[in-house]
Amino acid sequence: MTEQMMTFSGALNAVLHQAMRQDGAVVCIGEDIAQNGGVFGVTHGLCDAFGSDRVIDTPISETAFVGMAVGAAMTGLKPMVELMFCDFTGVCFDQILNQAAKARFLSNGKLKLPLVIRTTMGAGDGSGAMHSQSLHGLFASIPGLIVVCPSSPADAAGLLKSSLASDDPVIFLENKQLYELEGLVDAALPPVPLGSAKLAKDGADVTIVATSAMVHEALAAATRLESAGVSAAVLDPRTVKPLDEASILEHVRGTGRLLVVDEGAPFAGLADAVISSVVRGSFPSLKAAPQKLCPPDTPVPYAPAPEACWLPGSDAIVEAVVLMMED
Amino acid sequence: MNRNELKIYRQCWFIRAFEGAIAAEAAAGNVPGLVHLSTGSEVADALIGHHIDPNRDKVTGSHRSHGLALACGVEPLDVAKEILGKAGGLSDGLGGTQHLIAPESGFLTSNGIVGAQVPIAAGAALSAKSRSGGGIGVAVFGDGAANQGAVLETMNMAVALKLPMLFVLYNNGMAQSTKAETASGGNYRDRARSFGLPVWSADSVDFAACSKAVEHSVGHARLKGPAFVEVAVSRDHGHYYGDEKADQVFGANDALLAFEKWLLEQGVERSAIVAAADAGKAHAHAIVTEAVAAPNAPATLLSGWSSGESAVND
Ligand SMILES: Cc1ncc(C[n+]2csc(CCOP(=O)(O)OP(=O)(O)O)c2C)c(N)n1
Ligand SMILES: [Mg+2]
Repeated sequence: MTEQMMTFSGALNAVLHQAMRQDGAVVCIGEDIAQNGGVFGVTHGLCDAFGSDRVIDTPISETAFVGMAVGAAMTGLKPMVELMFCDFTGVCFDQILNQAAKARFLSNGKLKLPLVIRTTMGAGDGSGAMHSQSLHGLFASIPGLIVVCPSSPADAAGLLKSSLASDDPVIFLENKQLYELEGLVDAALPPVPLGSAKLAKDGADVTIVATSAMVHEALAAATRLESAGVSAAVLDPRTVKPLDEASILEHVRGTGRLLVVDEGAPFAGLADAVISSVVRGSFPSLKAAPQKLCPPDTPVPYAPAPEACWLPGSDAIVEAVVLMMED
Repeated sequence: MNRNELKIYRQCWFIRAFEGAIAAEAAAGNVPGLVHLSTGSEVADALIGHHIDPNRDKVTGSHRSHGLALACGVEPLDVAKEILGKAGGLSDGLGGTQHLIAPESGFLTSNGIVGAQVPIAAGAALSAKSRSGGGIGVAVFGDGAANQGAVLETMNMAVALKLPMLFVLYNNGMAQSTKAETASGGNYRDRARSFGLPVWSADSVDFAACSKAVEHSVGHARLKGPAFVEVAVSRDHGHYYGDEKADQVFGANDALLAFEKWLLEQGVERSAIVAAADAGKAHAHAIVTEAVAAPNAPATLLSGWSSGESAVND
């Protein structure tokens, strides 16, 4: 196995090249993805390699092109849709909520829906309230959708590969703040199974569950906690739906403490789902009440200081863990 | 007549210099995110501002609305502070460059979602209609936005409901990196006509024609019902400031140069023209300088908004 350093966006790009080369049914659809290579560069070079019949620039008509991808997936193509920001799913939500998510169920499995909607999430760059949201929890609450939130280049590549191979529709959320992140990636771009968590760092005192960019905040906090004598583990679910509840339960049974750090909604989001699962599944092993660290229940503010305050970060994680250890 | 035109000319230079100063702040790292500048649409912006009645009309705009908001009478210092993320901005820095919101003025909102401002202007038109005061809703949107379902739905609905509403399409030929002609079927005027909207169109390099088109379409919306006007503009700084693929920086068909030439042809003294431009520029620089010196929006800004479920719940 040969490994090479790749950026998060480069890893995604490599998988798209490989998938389009190996399977003529894969097509890419989205705004500014062909000649422009996508606003974050993820589709760079695909149009030159595979032509504009398979790498399709669309008008700013999200309902139409997401719906077109749903229909194409029903009829033999494997569309990869790029939606610049997950905030824009507001425009085409019917095609996601009612059409893509329900097609397999309503056809009693006669229809396959090999559709991947790649989109971005994440605050921290002054993009304002409609270009910064993290809506993975919202998508995960819809039966029929798979929801993926990778945190490293290797996971991004492996999970995208599995997503492209899935017969169920996938919402694939890339955190804007991670695109330049570098990491080692196996040159063969091996798939990472959907629904399997990864232990990013082991620890004995507390289990921190975090995904996407929050994994890196949690890892930074865990390093600092280590020097304070607290051994914190960081467990990354990687797929929000299906959620690897078994791995989470097993780890929390060992530590007895759970902190969920999530950039999604503080109400009825991933954090609440994980806590609910742990309380139901391993209540007797808990040494302290499970806690969550999420943004406040507001849209994302624009100005730098309020935005930084809005985002969960390693300082707040350290503080939260120290409090839990006192319990 | 010359007094009005010189006022509009001054407004155009005010917008251009304001955007130039914002660009300089962006280059210096003083703007939180990316800014989509109005450089190239000043004449259209200023004409809309001139022909609406801020006391009863409401304008909504796109992500690219600094100039439009300024032209519609929003307090410029508050606009600059909002773009720079400062306390005392229109929303104290909560909204930012794409979310300029000034319900106290003739400008209701700009928008981060392409096309979303258009049905909202229909709502302003409905409010105005129910008040029977002769007010109108004005939606300003781009050639890219013209392909959004919400925009086409609103065109149809405005006709069906006889809303006092004006659709203003700024055609700069580009939507991000996508050329209008490759992404759009037919032409925009024919689309509007097919919904039963009366149509005006003009190029902003032809000041007189553009002024007439805006004036007449506003008048039609006010007195007779929904109308559509397409204005050709340019996008001199590219999609956002710093976009390597800037379209043109004040090329030969700069609408402001054409406007200046037209003023001279009308017999306006060159000295008066230069003085108007200089006054606009000086005002813009003073405003942006003052905004830069203002305190940043504080982190505590959020405290009033959270519903309580936040941070660690203990
Ligand atoms: C629903 C939605 N889709 C895509 C975008 C990203 N986006 C922002 S501006 C823009 C281009 C808009 O083009 P146009 O309407 O012509 O306005 P212009 O930028 O030329 O002023 C795009 C694609 C968005 N903000 N919202
Ligand atoms: Mg345009």
